[in-house]
Amino acid sequence: MAAARYLDPAIVARLGTIDLQARTIVEGFLTGLHRSPYKGFSVEFAEYRQYLPGDDLATLDWKVFARSDKHFVKKYEEQTNLACHLLIDVSASMGYASGEVTKLHYASYLTGAIAYLMHRQRDSFGLIAFDDSISVLLPASARSGHLRTVLLALERLQLGVRTNLAKPLHDLAAAVRKRGMVVLVSDLLDDPASVIDGLKHFRYRGTDVIVFHILDPYELKFPFEQAARFRDIETEEEVMAVPGVVRDDYIRKMQDLIGYYRRELGLAGIDYCLLDTSQPLELGLMAYLMTRHRAI
Amino acid sequence: MSFLSPLFLIGLIAAAIPILLHLFHRKTEVVVDFPAVRLLTQVPVQQHRRRQLRELILLALRVAALILLALSFARPYFAATVAPAAAPLTVIAVDTSMSMSAPGQFDRARQAATRALHAAPTHHALALIGFAEAATILVQPTTDRSAIASALTALSPGTGGTRYRTALARVSEVLGTRDGHVAIVTDLQEIGWESNDDGGLPDGVSVDVSGVAPPPGNLAVTAAQRRGRSVSASIQNFGNSEVRTPVRLLAAGKQVARADVALAPLGAADVELTGALPSSGGAEVRVDDATGYQADNVHVVALEPARATTVGVVVADPTGATGGLYLERALAVADNGREFDVDVQDGRDVVKWTESDLAKVGAVFVLGTRTLDRPGRERLRNYLQRGGQVLLTLGPDLDPGTVSDVVGTPMSFADEPVRVPGATMIASDGRHPIFRPFLNPSGALGDVRVEQHRRLNDQTGRTVLARFAGGDAALTEQAVGAGRLMVFTSDLDNQWGRFPLNPSFVPFVVETARYLARSGTPSRQGRDRARAEESNPAAMTTEEFTNAIERTGRAGPQAPRTAARDIEDRQRWWQIGLVVMLVALAGEALVGRRVT
Repeated sequence: MAAARYLDPAIVARLGTIDLQARTIVEGFLTGLHRSPYKGFSVEFAEYRQYLPGDDLATLDWKVFARSDKHFVKKYEEQTNLACHLLIDVSASMGYASGEVTKLHYASYLTGAIAYLMHRQRDSFGLIAFDDSISVLLPASARSGHLRTVLLALERLQLGVRTNLAKPLHDLAAAVRKRGMVVLVSDLLDDPASVIDGLKHFRYRGTDVIVFHILDPYELKFPFEQAARFRDIETEEEVMAVPGVVRDDYIRKMQDLIGYYRRELGLAGIDYCLLDTSQPLELGLMAYLMTRHRAI
Repeated sequence: MSFLSPLFLIGLIAAAIPILLHLFHRKTEVVVDFPAVRLLTQVPVQQHRRRQLRELILLALRVAALILLALSFARPYFAATVAPAAAPLTVIAVDTSMSMSAPGQFDRARQAATRALHAAPTHHALALIGFAEAATILVQPTTDRSAIASALTALSPGTGGTRYRTALARVSEVLGTRDGHVAIVTDLQEIGWESNDDGGLPDGVSVDVSGVAPPPGNLAVTAAQRRGRSVSASIQNFGNSEVRTPVRLLAAGKQVARADVALAPLGAADVELTGALPSSGGAEVRVDDATGYQADNVHVVALEPARATTVGVVVADPTGATGGLYLERALAVADNGREFDVDVQDGRDVVKWTESDLAKVGAVFVLGTRTLDRPGRERLRNYLQRGGQVLLTLGPDLDPGTVSDVVGTPMSFADEPVRVPGATMIASDGRHPIFRPFLNPSGALGDVRVEQHRRLNDQTGRTVLARFAGGDAALTEQAVGAGRLMVFTSDLDNQWGRFPLNPSFVPFVVETARYLARSGTPSRQGRDRARAEESNPAAMTTEEFTNAIERTGRAGPQAPRTAARDIEDRQRWWQIGLVVMLVALAGEALVGRRVT
């Protein structure tokens, strides 16, 4: 459990490269799983297979060998083949942070951790970063060096401008040929109907989708005190507001938006996970594993 | 709009402070970058535009408060009919001395003044001055010509002597630094150039002298004195032809004696008039002179030793330690106690003064009205209306609620006295008879220290003769009915200052009593007041008169400033300005509170 403390986003943010961050997150998470009811999701035993030259000796089951004098290697769920596309929103609104960790940083940690997890499970994975267009596109691959490429790309992500989720989603949905899995990490501050429409496009093609809705705690609770001019990060639209006056209405609107996403995505068979940037990353990983389990 | 203290308008620069703060504040206003602003627009927030409107209102209120503060300190006044300080000015100075009293003479003087009025350039402001021994501004500089015409109609000759230099000095004060023109209407009497006086006209001021011809001759009773059963009189012929005239001695309206005298041109004769004279009262020596000055045809002779002038003093409480004590003692000094007979009366007992008693009173000093009952107030009011001379002090024994009833004219002043410790008194008109003794620096009024005084709110119709440091009127003079009312806005009882202990106090009250007592009706004072010299109609030519006018450097703008101060005193816009400023600040606080 000691390692679980590293899943705190603020602590993870202080770690060096995203490679180390992703590994810390995943190792800490897996350590926690040994004592959790969910253990086995990621390293679940699948079958025995007769040893073939070239197999890693570490995978030999020495107990079976002792009993039967035959060489068998263990095969785990992680060794099943799954193509996963990691979609990360890099629009300007993702740069917002009320504390140390911006939404983009949080999304990067989460995406990196999922990529690391996939790498451990021998899944192929790709990375697509976008705002109103695709800025980074790394096709899915299970090659050993691919993880480093993805993590390096995550580390170098630059904030874009405005969010337009619908267009890149439709483009990607059309491009994905093989049944797989799509992980969308975004603050979803766009037209909800068009976002859901884009995600449904994946579902129509048989792709499992999980949406990580990343929000800052201030976006959820609007805890401002002083009257101020609130300027939209993307549109620069300004609104003079007295927080004490508008807070309840704002929270209600935000909850309505979240409820809308949760309801509509659920109806479309899309997993939805709301995360605020102060929450441990393990919640995201757990949601991912549950979706993966269903996808296999 | 004009300002009494325009330097304070520099304070208007301060109005820029809230504007700069507003602009600065706008730049530094908290701006929060936020991703979900679109959700804020969907709730009823305080819109930016509305906020801007409130900020502008706040800014306007703050700027207005500062502007009002600066304007109030600059002491604004509206002078719709008062000419601007820089406007060219025509001053009409009319001689109202006794030597203008020959039959028909003053009518001609009035016509000449009216002609000067009509001849004044249309862009000129106008002022009217009447002069004899003293010069009085009858109409302050104005663009209202009807006011001048109206004042001319009401003007009449008095019994005083002529002092041209005093008049010219007053004209110079009124002109100040303006360009101007002076129209002098006078009989050009030679004797009017009193050598001890100072006064001239500023360089560059044009003069138009309208000579009103004196009578061709004048007979005057220049002196008369009782000697036992006779009265010895001096009769003088100021004409260029021999005159034979009867001289009559009248007592109680009846002729007691008569003598005919023949007077050579410019000659004089003494006449002994013997008859049955009463032991007391007065007798008149009269000559017949239908064409000369009328006031010098009669000389009143006191048949008994000269009596002291009775001065009535009304106090609220004569048993008090200060009930007129200082005033009584000061008047007792004059002429070793022979000049004034002081009668101190409790306000409750004023009704004991009969009409005949009051007729003998030269002047009444009212030091307290607190104990005056209605009949007492009515008695004093009637006295004043019928030609009485009253000095009213606004000291602690004054009852503000009934003072207008006492003097028979509206008087408005603050109920609470103004406390200005050590305020000095400054004569506004140093040539006024009351202040002539103070022209000598040893008797300077600047030594006077007064702690409290009342502030007159309205000085319409009053001439301010002296002011306290700070500008409030100290001594004013005005006509009420046929009488004269002087108002001293502090007290003479050593309660609101130590003025009665000051060396200036005795000459001040003695001269005031003399001035008031001398201002009685001609029937009582008669020929005694007229100076013998004034009976001489010898006149200069217009050219000689004009040449006799000394030219001086430009006088300061004291007279316009005095006029402006009087107007500002009446209007008191600064008080309204301060009230509005406070309202603006209260509004600012209210709006500001709603914004935050």
